[in-house]
Amino acid sequence: MSVLKEFEEATPLKNPWIDSWKEEGKKILGYFCSYIPDEIIHAAGILPVRMRATGCTDTPMGDAYLTPTACSYTRCCLEMANRRQYNFLDGAISCNSCDQIRRLDDNIRIKAPFPYQYFIGVPGNINDLTIDWFKHELNKFKTSLEENYSVEITDDKLRSSIKTYNESRALLKELYMLRKNPKPPISGTDIMNVLLTDVSIPREQFNELLRKLLKELDGKEGESNHKSRLMIVGSQLDDPEYVKIIEDLGGLIVVDSFCLGTRTFWDQVDETKDPLDALAKHYMTRVSCPRMSGKQSERVDFVAELVKEFDVDGVIFQRMKFCALWWAEIFIIRKKLKELGVPFLDLEREYVLSGAGAMKTRVQGFMEILEAK
Amino acid sequence: MDEETYQKYKKLARGSWGKEFSLLKMMFNGFLGLMREEEDMEFELPMETILNILLNIGKARKQGRKIIMYPFNYGPELFVTMGLQPLMQEIFSVGLAPFHMNEPYLDFSNEIGYGDNPTLCNASRPLVGAYMQGAAPVPDYLFFLSTPCNSLAMNYQVFESLSNVPTYNMDVPYWAIEEDSEFYDGKVVEYMTNQCKDFVTWLEDQTKEKFEIEKFQQTMLRLNQARENIRDFNETLKNVPCPAGSQTGFWNWFFMSTIGGTQEAVDVTKFVRDSAIENVKEGVGGIEDEKLRIAWPYTHVFFDRDLFPWLEETYGAIAILDILGNYQVEPHNTSTLEKCYDSLARGTLDYSMIGSCRGPAEYYIEYVINYVKDYKVDCVIYPMQYACKHAFAMARITSEAVREATGIPSLIFGCDPYDSREVPHEAIQAKIAEFIEQVVL
Repeated sequence: MSVLKEFEEATPLKNPWIDSWKEEGKKILGYFCSYIPDEIIHAAGILPVRMRATGCTDTPMGDAYLTPTACSYTRCCLEMANRRQYNFLDGAISCNSCDQIRRLDDNIRIKAPFPYQYFIGVPGNINDLTIDWFKHELNKFKTSLEENYSVEITDDKLRSSIKTYNESRALLKELYMLRKNPKPPISGTDIMNVLLTDVSIPREQFNELLRKLLKELDGKEGESNHKSRLMIVGSQLDDPEYVKIIEDLGGLIVVDSFCLGTRTFWDQVDETKDPLDALAKHYMTRVSCPRMSGKQSERVDFVAELVKEFDVDGVIFQRMKFCALWWAEIFIIRKKLKELGVPFLDLEREYVLSGAGAMKTRVQGFMEILEAK
Repeated sequence: MDEETYQKYKKLARGSWGKEFSLLKMMFNGFLGLMREEEDMEFELPMETILNILLNIGKARKQGRKIIMYPFNYGPELFVTMGLQPLMQEIFSVGLAPFHMNEPYLDFSNEIGYGDNPTLCNASRPLVGAYMQGAAPVPDYLFFLSTPCNSLAMNYQVFESLSNVPTYNMDVPYWAIEEDSEFYDGKVVEYMTNQCKDFVTWLEDQTKEKFEIEKFQQTMLRLNQARENIRDFNETLKNVPCPAGSQTGFWNWFFMSTIGGTQEAVDVTKFVRDSAIENVKEGVGGIEDEKLRIAWPYTHVFFDRDLFPWLEETYGAIAILDILGNYQVEPHNTSTLEKCYDSLARGTLDYSMIGSCRGPAEYYIEYVINYVKDYKVDCVIYPMQYACKHAFAMARITSEAVREATGIPSLIFGCDPYDSREVPHEAIQAKIAEFIEQVVL
């Protein structure tokens, strides 16, 4: 079986790796945001799995409690929690990623609680004081895991986890570098499957799959029949079908800046420092998301650099409806891209892929603009 | 307002305020017109204080004072200490709403692709539209906090990005400072104190002015006097009948957010408190025949000047305090410099809307339940701003908790307090009337 097929198998909410893990009697924790250092969960011998709401069809409870003007990702998650569709999880870790996620955590805790729920207060800006505070938050989280699951998370265990995660980061970056090729050996849809696997299976097995993939792609001639090279920018996106629609229309996704993508693995955690210091520093100073105030120009520059580095023809903003963070952010990125002469398309979307027809029409129009350039 | 006072302020407002303050001047004239119609002379001091606040902002540039813009959930005591002119940004969206003057800037924001109402809060979104049309003041410095919401932080970031104004932002932690809370974290106050000190250093660097400790202590002393006045005023509202009208408490927040730490704030909050105490002594209510007491744990519907008078006249219903007017910062010991910083930090953590919304929903739930019990209310009305995700998503669980703890019913509805076109006055009235007539009475 092609290794890409294995990645595809890992993408459902519950996958064979999760089943095996459960059969061994081990714990699984869901987590809501890339600001939650899964290294700490990993060091506790627990499998961290990114919270998704794949399969959600309607959101009556989400509409009633979070209101219809909350983003559909959070409404879907509340719905799934209420319908006990996260029963394979032993708990959930959340943080103040955004107003909607923090209130999702409250509503789940009050209306459909997990056996264990923990909340990390992530500071809203970056300086020495806030990094210290984040370390304090991580220390509390570590203690909570230790007490709740009767485990000891030693510095050595943390160091080992950081090393394992750094290996993932390095391998993912190596994979992304192949996409700079004029004929990238891997599509954006397949990359989406890789990124979903990254947050859905045990770390060591993910690294093994990645190594296999890189070996398989070594020297492979890539696709050349695409019409343009695209970048995706935005927040939570965990649906390979969304990317496939774009690629079926001839736009090859070659790089990204979204929650599961580059922002999480572009930089390494310092392995020489005290592990909690290193984790606090890394998560606070890595390429940020709009929830971090004061770093807007750095984020805009990051997008602009990737556009240049990966020879991007156009940028697609995938913006979840009702997301305050990303609408405001995109307003500024758009200004920069205009200055650089890079075309962009602002695509508002719901968590559940709906209105595919309208999306196709808009992407098609965008592709025509790019072709005409 | 008497004719002499009216003419005095009309004269003071004459002349150009400059394009960047033209909106402020319009607001000033709008309020002055409303105050002229006000026959209740009892509130001359608060009215004049409001006008002076607007005049002082308008005059700052001409007088060479540096202006610092900051959000509605922060007190200006550090700025007062440093001799800066405080400019609470939401003075515009709140002050312009009754005159329907936010709408052109909201429309312009829509046209340029900057958000919409359910996504970005219109308390600060008009700022971007107004700035891009040259109709917003460009401050010398900008300050904002990470809470209570993403909208605020993003609107300020976008403004910063467009204007390049030197900006400081402060993180507000999630956890409680009350030792008996299940969310208590003993390091929160220290963290906030350190940030306050860091902010002072930043202000010194920016302004090239020395932060004078003695001035700071005097400011904090005055701030605490005003806090005491408000605490006492809030206490009087527990009486039946409630000794102040539905909008009185709101002005306490306004004074603390615009001139907190000044003698003027002490005087005006004392005046408001003394009037309420006097009314309690005489058994006089804020409205003539109080029949219904409403908890209003969100902001006013700012565009709708007729809503509270209608409630008062139609149902004898009084809204005790809105979430901003429900200013809950306690007076603190400010005898030493460290205690002043401690007080500053605690004041930031407990500020209106920050205290109840910066952490888990339990803070807000507890706040509303205590409000209902302390003020003997008959019902709760949540007029939620559609874009206020953090608050709107607590309304339902809060109403359920309130019902369980007290048996008191709630009405939750969505609207835009800054834009009358989203849910108009008539629709809001109809929702409230139906609730009062069919559920409460």
